[in-house]
Amino acid sequence: MEEVWGTILVLLRVWFTAVVLLIMLPAMFGISLGITEVYMKILVKTLEWATLRIQKHNRRQDLIKATVTNGIIQRDDGSMEQEIGALRQSRPTSLSRGKFTLCDVFYFTRKGIESIVDDEVTQRFSSEELVSWNLLTRTNNNFHYISLRLTVIWGLGVVIRYCVLAPLRITLAFIGITWLVTGTSLVGLLPDISVKSWLSELVHLMCYRICARGLSATIRYHNKENIPKNGGICVANHTSPIDIVILANDRCYAMVGQVHGGLMGIIQRSAVRACPHVWFERSEMKDRHLVAKRLRDHVADKTKLPILIFPEGTCINNTSVMMFKKGSFEIGGTIYPVAIKYDPQFGDAFWNSGKYNMVSYLLRMMTSWAIVCNVWYLPPMERQEGEDAVHFASRVKAAIAHQGGLVDLSWDGGLKRAKVKDTYREQEQKKYSSMIVGDDSSGIVGDDSSGIVGDDSSGIVGDDSSGIIGDDSSGIVVDNTSGIVGHKSSS
Amino acid sequence: MGTLFSAPDDHFQDLSEKTGFSPEQIQILHKRFKQLSNEEDLLRRDDFNNIPDLACNPIRTQIIEAFFDKRNFRQNAVGSVEEISFEQFVVVMSHFRPVPLHNMTEEQRERMRREKLRFLFNMHDTDNDGTITLEEYKHVVEELLSRSGAIGKETAKGIADAAMLEVASITVGRMNPEDFYEGITFDHFLKILKDIEIETKMHIRFQNNACALC
Repeated sequence: MEEVWGTILVLLRVWFTAVVLLIMLPAMFGISLGITEVYMKILVKTLEWATLRIQKHNRRQDLIKATVTNGIIQRDDGSMEQEIGALRQSRPTSLSRGKFTLCDVFYFTRKGIESIVDDEVTQRFSSEELVSWNLLTRTNNNFHYISLRLTVIWGLGVVIRYCVLAPLRITLAFIGITWLVTGTSLVGLLPDISVKSWLSELVHLMCYRICARGLSATIRYHNKENIPKNGGICVANHTSPIDIVILANDRCYAMVGQVHGGLMGIIQRSAVRACPHVWFERSEMKDRHLVAKRLRDHVADKTKLPILIFPEGTCINNTSVMMFKKGSFEIGGTIYPVAIKYDPQFGDAFWNSGKYNMVSYLLRMMTSWAIVCNVWYLPPMERQEGEDAVHFASRVKAAIAHQGGLVDLSWDGGLKRAKVKDTYREQEQKKYSSMIVGDDSSGIVGDDSSGIVGDDSSGIVGDDSSGIIGDDSSGIVVDNTSGIVGHKSSS
Repeated sequence: MGTLFSAPDDHFQDLSEKTGFSPEQIQILHKRFKQLSNEEDLLRRDDFNNIPDLACNPIRTQIIEAFFDKRNFRQNAVGSVEEISFEQFVVVMSHFRPVPLHNMTEEQRERMRREKLRFLFNMHDTDNDGTITLEEYKHVVEELLSRSGAIGKETAKGIADAAMLEVASITVGRMNPEDFYEGITFDHFLKILKDIEIETKMHIRFQNNACALC
């Protein structure tokens, strides 16, 4: 028995030293031994081979599937006016503007059915569909059984991922977090000397690099000359909590967020001892002015680290960028936009917070092939004279979407959990009613403010009959045709 | 997590024959159904309310009701249900299926027209008495116009009355002052809308950018 224990201990020691030497130390100093590159090359070759096999198989079976990323149905791009006009023109009696007809309903019905079949927003809150299978069980939605060889490779992949890679990564993550907590606490003990900030940055960087190795993250940074500088605000699109690790691998940021309990709370408390992050209590978050003031104070000090903010407010699935909340853009200072785009082929980084909690999400991350992403640093932007925060926010958003190859949507990411406000529906109604009623006074709405009774008798129904709405306020009864509704009272 | 072996396609094949969608389109609709229903087997009214584009539509209540209206299930039943299965979803959708017009005979086209117009008629005729009364019509007009506050309820009422008058004049002709117009029957409905090309304007066109699954 002791021999068994002995060998196990020896193995563990060997394992640990290997991990430390081969992965941790190089990670801490930012050098790479090339092991990950080799792994990625093998992975890419395997996936390409798998793709070809599936393609060959499908060609034999003649399976054709439509892509879902660009929308399933064709829509008319015309405005409401054009389309309703087109509908009405098919009638022989040309109707003057200012009339409501039954066929107008068709326009809205068709639009409604189209949005039931496919809409831009709902698809953003679930993981992106892959065009070809990447040998992970979790992405296998429509892919059929192909061949024995493929299944064997898949099985091998499962073994490697769960039994070799996952424990390795969990070990690394554990080491990374422990080092972060102890390192920052140690640095926090130092008095406020210039060495302290240098040390704290070093500690932070090392830990994030270890954590990144813990996820097998391959990150490519582009345009490093635009890297955020001290005293600015860094904004990025949000896909998952891992975004922080990805960005913090390159330089140190001041994080902004809510104080959590548990493990997160411990990390937050120790991190803030070493360098000034901005953590808010839950009660403080409700007070927008307080939040803005604290952030403004931080930004005003040009020596402090740049703040990292995700203006979308929630995780989106990395195919689009949703509305940026204007709060971050009202603070002032220089904005450094950053675009992050993950490659879904190697692992889906999107956190569907409704479906998975944090722990199961992290486990999924650690059992994917790898996390591959591109980070683009965009040139700094500032709010221009007379530009309001909302406009500035959408300008920044457009730049990020353009760089990352993402769809630029103006819908609010909060729709993940909340419903659309009634004001949007009212806008459609307003548009339609202004079409019917007309913006000038030739329609129903006459010069007087009661709105109903026009001053001439043209009313609604053209200029021939004296109109349904006559001069009296009962509204219905006119001189000749009485009793549409059975109001038999005489006019 | 998906399975290595996909679900049998025969079920979809049946549905495809029954409703006129192609099997690929049924696949797409199935995915959409699952997305809307949060991976469950039954869809409820609330699930439709999660679609932002639909929430902006002034007549969304009527459109959603149409999916739960038994008259649209092609089984000659009446009433409404609380939840629908995928099959019922596709059957209701089939009223809007893409039609190969050049391949159809005159009779088929006429049948298609009637079917689509029947769907729209049912959407207005909420109490299923066979006529769209002024009340029901007014309701539609109000939904489309008045809640925004730009037009008062009175105006909306007036517009509805005007439209009814026009309908009456087309279908019934000149009426006596004592006549009471009950409402638009389905035949009147057909008559009013006989010139509008419903077949071409009332269907969804699936995009054809299919690519081989590589």
